[in-house]
Amino acid sequence: MSSQGFRLRERDVLHFNVADFAVAVERVTDGSLRGRPLIIAPLQAARAVVYDMSEEAYGEGVRKGMPLRQATGICRGAELLAPRVRLYQKAMQAFLKELQGYSPLIEYGQADGHFFVDVTGTHRLYGPAPDVGWRVRRHVRTSLGINPIWTLGTSKLVAKVASRLVKPVGEYIVTAGEEAIFLAPLPIHLLPGLSGSELQKLQEFQLTTIGALAKLNCHQLMVPFGSRCEYLHAASRGIDDSRVGSPGAGLQGIDYEHTFADDTNDRRQLEGVVATLAGRAGFRLRAQQQVARRVGIWLRYSDGGHVVRQASCRTGTSSDFLLQQLALTALQRALTRRTRIRSCRLVCDRLQRRSPQLSLFPEQEQGQLRRQKVLGAMDSLRKRFGHGVISVGRQVPVDISAGDSSGLPIH
Amino acid sequence: MVSENNGPCPASVELSFVSEATGVARSCPVYVGTCGYSYTEWVDSGFYPEGTKSAEMLGLYGRCFSVVELNYTWYQMARADALARMVEKAPAHLLFAAKLTRTMTHERDDNWREQLHLYRQGIEPLKNRLLAVLLQLPPDFDRSIANRNYLAALLDGLHDLPVAVEFRHCSWATDSVFAELERRRVTLVAIDAPSLPGLFPSLDVVTNPALFYVRFHGRNKEGWRSGNMQKKFNYDYSEEELRAWCDSYLQPMAACADRGILFFNNHVRAMAPRNGRKLAVILAGLRQGER
Repeated sequence: MSSQGFRLRERDVLHFNVADFAVAVERVTDGSLRGRPLIIAPLQAARAVVYDMSEEAYGEGVRKGMPLRQATGICRGAELLAPRVRLYQKAMQAFLKELQGYSPLIEYGQADGHFFVDVTGTHRLYGPAPDVGWRVRRHVRTSLGINPIWTLGTSKLVAKVASRLVKPVGEYIVTAGEEAIFLAPLPIHLLPGLSGSELQKLQEFQLTTIGALAKLNCHQLMVPFGSRCEYLHAASRGIDDSRVGSPGAGLQGIDYEHTFADDTNDRRQLEGVVATLAGRAGFRLRAQQQVARRVGIWLRYSDGGHVVRQASCRTGTSSDFLLQQLALTALQRALTRRTRIRSCRLVCDRLQRRSPQLSLFPEQEQGQLRRQKVLGAMDSLRKRFGHGVISVGRQVPVDISAGDSSGLPIH
Repeated sequence: MVSENNGPCPASVELSFVSEATGVARSCPVYVGTCGYSYTEWVDSGFYPEGTKSAEMLGLYGRCFSVVELNYTWYQMARADALARMVEKAPAHLLFAAKLTRTMTHERDDNWREQLHLYRQGIEPLKNRLLAVLLQLPPDFDRSIANRNYLAALLDGLHDLPVAVEFRHCSWATDSVFAELERRRVTLVAIDAPSLPGLFPSLDVVTNPALFYVRFHGRNKEGWRSGNMQKKFNYDYSEEELRAWCDSYLQPMAACADRGILFFNNHVRAMAPRNGRKLAVILAGLRQGER
């Protein structure tokens, strides 16, 4: 506690997780799919990979990102469905609406059924946090027909580990002050945020439980894990100060994805798609009076692997030209493999309000003003006739086809 | 409030009676407590000192009360490791009642027998300090044949544990139900709640001579069916109401039981511990009046 009377409250972070979200949504729309193995994957694509699978298919050995041919070989009786991303997004929005009645601090992923809700300090309005968790689950079960896991912890990390522990159904309350005791006996792979190579290294050191990792101090961890030692040290003790982001606070990003009709490693085609996605993001940022300070490119390869790289600028931008420049820099960094690419996702984050302040030296910004005028004219046309009506530079028209998430906003 | 020195067994009183039937003097210890103890709101409302962490609450609670009803076992399955740690940290005089998990009461499933097995294992660390397992049934659990069969099977599964049953549906308020509970030596929970149609009434029936069990939910008629706990349990009992309750209900129940537990569920703004303390003072006055 500080002398000014500020006091850190124990946080109440709820995590809701619908296991196999896409499958759960499909089963709501078609009850006959219940209790049967189900694989969701783009069926037309030449080398489709598994988007999601049911618990039954998982039990047979099917995994996300696995080539569809291999998955159907393992689980021969599985029902196959093409992903309906829009439907999953709609279900996410309905779930989100339920949560918004309890807290403004909600963090969620892309159509994956994960929600973190910070209900700290809401007890006078809605009662104790476990009761909120239970009630949300009950309402979601009644109104949406899906049965989420709910867990309660003092941080996102603890709540997430608890979710992983009870998956696919259940609930878990980790009492404040018992975080380290709760984590200690659990296998190390339940700790979020560990890369494959880190997990492998931990196995080599015979650190198989989170408790074993927690026994090592930061200096000991620094030798094999370098700058990651602090995260590992804190996480193994259940310490996580990260905030639950709210979309309004700009912590969520603007997110567009394009899946290629045929897997490609054509550099020009990739750059064209990235430029188009940057144009769409710029259009949306300008409409929201926001600027982004970071652009990330996610490349998903034919073999299920993925690479993420980012580029950032000190002052935020909503200009197509600058966003495109950042996106191409990130793409350049991401192109580390020769394997063909299945899909490309562009994420603009670190958003902030566009400053209304004008420059002191307008004569230096003639070029910028001209570009703004061009963008303004393009925005007017796009608002009226659609995004594909006009493009600049490398931007290419990207068709939005059924069952494909091309150019669809994720958030 | 918790800093007061309340003696070795706070908020408990031994009431004495002379049996009308036999003329023999007997006593009935009565313990007062609350439904749950871990509420951040009780820090804001001044029951716990400012800055109290969750882990410190049970110790502080034990300075004021001798019994607590564990309600988190309703939200999630009781886990032996967590309860063992809690018992280890709890004051030595503190006794417990534990709610049965909702998967056997409000969200009944076909696998309830497995759930019951898990629950029994989970509450094992409480064994020597467990006064009752509270089986709280939902308002829509009426006295249908299916529900009667389910309840009978559930009570069979809990036969060697001290069980208290709380009905919310008025259809269970019949002599045949009370007789069956008496035969099974299962405690019927007496409730103090708003008088609303369809709700189980406030009664002074004792079905188990070993224990009577009372839950004070508050008398907030408007909030009861609001679906919001903060409205439902927002009620502050006055001293007159508690005295009148003691005269009408406590004395007859204590006269035919060996022990009694009284829990306040009106947790909003820490009214439960405040009312609990108020009732304990009234009981202490009754005890002195006997002398």
